Amino acid sequence: MMRSLPKPRTQKLTIIAQDPSAKDGAGRIVRARVEIPAESLQPGPWGYRVQVVDFDAATDTLWKPLEYKKRNGIVEDPFATASDAELLADPRFHQQNVYAIIMRVLGRFEFALGRRVSWSFGGHQLKVAPHATADANAYYSKEDEGLFFGYFVDPATNGLVFSCLSHDVVAHETTHALVDGLRSRYTDPSSPDQAAFHEGISDVVALLSIFSLREVMAGLLSGWKGTGKVSAKKLSPASLRQSALFALAEQMGSAMSQARGQALRNSVRIVQNPALISSAEYQEPHRRGELLVAAMLNALIEIWSERVTGLFLSAGELDLSRVVEEGQRAADILLTMSIRALDYCPPVHLGFGDYLSALVTADREIRPDDSTYHFRARLLASFAAYGIKPSSPGDAEEPGIWTAASGAFSHERSHFEPMQRDADEVFRFIWENRKELDLTEGVYTEVQSVRPCIRAGGDGFSLRETVVEYVQILRLMPPELTDAGYTRPDAELLPDDREVFIHGGGTLIFDEWGQLKYHVHNRLNSYDKQSARIAYLAESGYYLARRPKSEAVRVTRQGLFSQMHLNRGLNRSRKLTDTWAGAKAPPQPVPAHVCGVHSFFTTEEENDDANA
Amino acid sequence: MPTPKPTSLSIRSYQVGFGDSFLLTFHYPKVAGKPKAVHILVDCGSTAMPAAATHSLDDIAQQIATDCGGKLDAVIATHRHADHINGFGTNAAGDNSGDILAKLKPALVVQPWTEDPALAPDAIKPTGKLKALAAHTRGLQAMHACAALAADEAARLGSALPERTRKQLAFLGETNLANLSAVKNLMTMGKKNEYLSYGAKTGLTKLLPGVKIHVLGPPTPADYSEIEKQRSKDKDEFWHLLGATAQNPQTARAPFDKKFAAKTRPAHARWFAQRVTAAHIQQRLEIVRALDDALNNTSLILLFEVGGKKFLFPGDAQIENWNYALKDAPEAAANCKLLAATDFYKVGHHGSLNATPKTLWKLFAKKGAPTKKTTLTTVVSTMSGKHGSTSANTEVPRATLVAELEKNSVFFTTQRIKKPPLFEKRDFPL
Repeated sequence: MMRSLPKPRTQKLTIIAQDPSAKDGAGRIVRARVEIPAESLQPGPWGYRVQVVDFDAATDTLWKPLEYKKRNGIVEDPFATASDAELLADPRFHQQNVYAIIMRVLGRFEFALGRRVSWSFGGHQLKVAPHATADANAYYSKEDEGLFFGYFVDPATNGLVFSCLSHDVVAHETTHALVDGLRSRYTDPSSPDQAAFHEGISDVVALLSIFSLREVMAGLLSGWKGTGKVSAKKLSPASLRQSALFALAEQMGSAMSQARGQALRNSVRIVQNPALISSAEYQEPHRRGELLVAAMLNALIEIWSERVTGLFLSAGELDLSRVVEEGQRAADILLTMSIRALDYCPPVHLGFGDYLSALVTADREIRPDDSTYHFRARLLASFAAYGIKPSSPGDAEEPGIWTAASGAFSHERSHFEPMQRDADEVFRFIWENRKELDLTEGVYTEVQSVRPCIRAGGDGFSLRETVVEYVQILRLMPPELTDAGYTRPDAELLPDDREVFIHGGGTLIFDEWGQLKYHVHNRLNSYDKQSARIAYLAESGYYLARRPKSEAVRVTRQGLFSQMHLNRGLNRSRKLTDTWAGAKAPPQPVPAHVCGVHSFFTTEEENDDANA
Repeated sequence: MPTPKPTSLSIRSYQVGFGDSFLLTFHYPKVAGKPKAVHILVDCGSTAMPAAATHSLDDIAQQIATDCGGKLDAVIATHRHADHINGFGTNAAGDNSGDILAKLKPALVVQPWTEDPALAPDAIKPTGKLKALAAHTRGLQAMHACAALAADEAARLGSALPERTRKQLAFLGETNLANLSAVKNLMTMGKKNEYLSYGAKTGLTKLLPGVKIHVLGPPTPADYSEIEKQRSKDKDEFWHLLGATAQNPQTARAPFDKKFAAKTRPAHARWFAQRVTAAHIQQRLEIVRALDDALNNTSLILLFEVGGKKFLFPGDAQIENWNYALKDAPEAAANCKLLAATDFYKVGHHGSLNATPKTLWKLFAKKGAPTKKTTLTTVVSTMSGKHGSTSANTEVPRATLVAELEKNSVFFTTQRIKKPPLFEKRDFPL
């Protein structure tokens, strides 16, 4: 028998390219058919990483799940030729839209990182409710292991606005989930930068993801004229900043502000001014995150605008497809760089300066020759224009990059092979080298992750690295702070009975020979920085909102084994069937629930009884 | 002839459980041998009476009628929350508390500018300052729709919700619901109506010769134009948006055709469906909480200055409302000086944790031991166990605030009123 051809590895599905308010030259909603990994789907769509459960709490309805027909081993796109009205009115299209966009963003992360990316909650499948509630809101919740998208009425048109149909919103929320999977401590209360980072990077990924949709880019640039040309005037940095390409969530923004064409955010238009970052307005996380977006995307705009200057067809006109190609190539490099940089960031207390150093380091490792785009220099300049300096000085040739790890590390008590995957093995290395790594002794220390990765390099070879995150946690009562070396805030903001958690930690990057290449850290013993964070949290009312630390020992239900032993020892063998446990009792209430949405102040509280 | 001046002021605090109701009686020198007094009612509402109480708001209204001798000079309704105005509610039989109060024929009814019916969005031309005001009022109406939705939700989900969450949702929903008959009664019971904002002149001055009245809040969006500009999103529009969704039952109830609804809920969907519901309720609670704060911040803040003494009635104003008078108004420094000399403080929002801003409390210069003659008096109208929780440090009245008030002021709480008469009367010679 002849062997059949291998199954296709990808499949194409229709999505709404921006949101239902973006129309093409014929007045139709702009769509795209995107390529995502082929997989065997259950009704939902329910695949190996994403499970759509279309439960609508506002109307208490479960909407029917999308079931695909298969042909030649891949699913058939049921909406390939659907009308606009069908796309809007059929919840199953909305399900496909969120599924496909999430898979695409996930795929992009895995490509950039050279490995699978896990969700932070432990399970394999992220749950998604495309019509969770009737609110103008969308969010990621770790505790609920899912993404929630709301819908609402636009008072101007009385029509419904679905946040799950906005590419930017879906990509943004997906990025929250992915970043949380990579760096779970970035949702901890820390600094204005850390809270803002989650927002900023999610916007960056959402905006750059649009660039890979060729037809959409061409249409947006040319105004859907189909002439294959674009006016040079539209490609100046100033015009590009006004382009819909760099505006986020237009339909939601318009409906929420009651002003047509008003995007939810338009960060690239923020005027370059190094003073903004310390102004009161930019302390709010979303607003501050916009500075990160502005710094990164303005670098892209400069590069793109410069690259197309040689592409003139005739006076004042350029070839559209070449312009799009240049933009796509540059955006692709920037997106890869911004995702890879996450691996080179410290695991706790991320500052914008840390991220900038991580960006240029990650890029230098895999793309040493930057002579075509000058991306690294451009990024450093653009960040500086918004008042952000790299945390590491770097050297004359590569300013801003992290300094290489130095020290005589002992490998004698650890083994090469498990060092690439086994947290206990790496912990042993850290334990033996704790002095060399300048760790604080006598505090709780834990290896959070060990991630081997293989990244594609420009020279055709692959770059192998192992990325390790460890954290150190010190818990002190306020009166102990001063003796430990930290500055204690005013007792009115930090009463004596509120426990203070101080987090330190580092990222260790091992090269392919198992040698430590970089050690990126925010240490417990950086007393000034840690004191500044404690002061910031105190001033924002964080400690006042926490419960006083109880001196009483908390007695919780015993574990299974201790119970078994105790029962045997006490000769107690009463069975539940002998009791009234099964008798009709009043219904048990659903446990009260704290939403994980951007609630940076709840995480620690819930972890009160555990260190990690 | 010199302007007559009041010789004393009596303040009656009524036992209304969780709510507010105060009667201010200004005593003037005798005119033609007859005693002259001016009676002003500040709020009348309750969302819960003490468990042991046998009286209702009707009895309170009856008591007020007796205490003012059958005639009120003015009514002040600080803001639209039920626990401040539902006592003005009427019924068809004409024997409800509001009917009793209407018969006292106040010459003037004073409310915050946000209650001005002329601001109804369809009743005015959207121009200039009025446009901003109309947008705000429209926002308030939408807030009521949201509140109704919350109350509705609490009822619909019933036992599926944890008891505490359901109670909270129902309580906040009901408190924020527009009490139509009370609103209407306030609009019509007086000879004249006044809708005041920060710095406004008031007809109370004419009714109260020798008394200076300072309106310290609420500010209008026009006062706050600079601050409005700095905000990335317009709060009022936010309510409008939610209200539009809530008020549009057709679209909000069914975003899709019924044929797309699944008939059964498979096992694999149940855990997450429950989480979605929980998250949805959490969001509703957040919204209705924010809404509650917003409405509290429409409270009138009135300071009566008479005979060298100062009496402060701030309704349920929270820091956002206070900020203008204390920090952002051009007269902020003078306001602070004025407030520093406060002799009587009606504790904001039943003693909740955020309605006596520390900035304000620190300002009061006459804090001190209750035994000292010059120490200021503080009165709170409240009931424990109705709102907030001790474990979350949100109980009303908040224990830490009460402790401070007990230590540094002559403190009274209506919780001490256990039997008739249903009020506590305090006299201040002027």
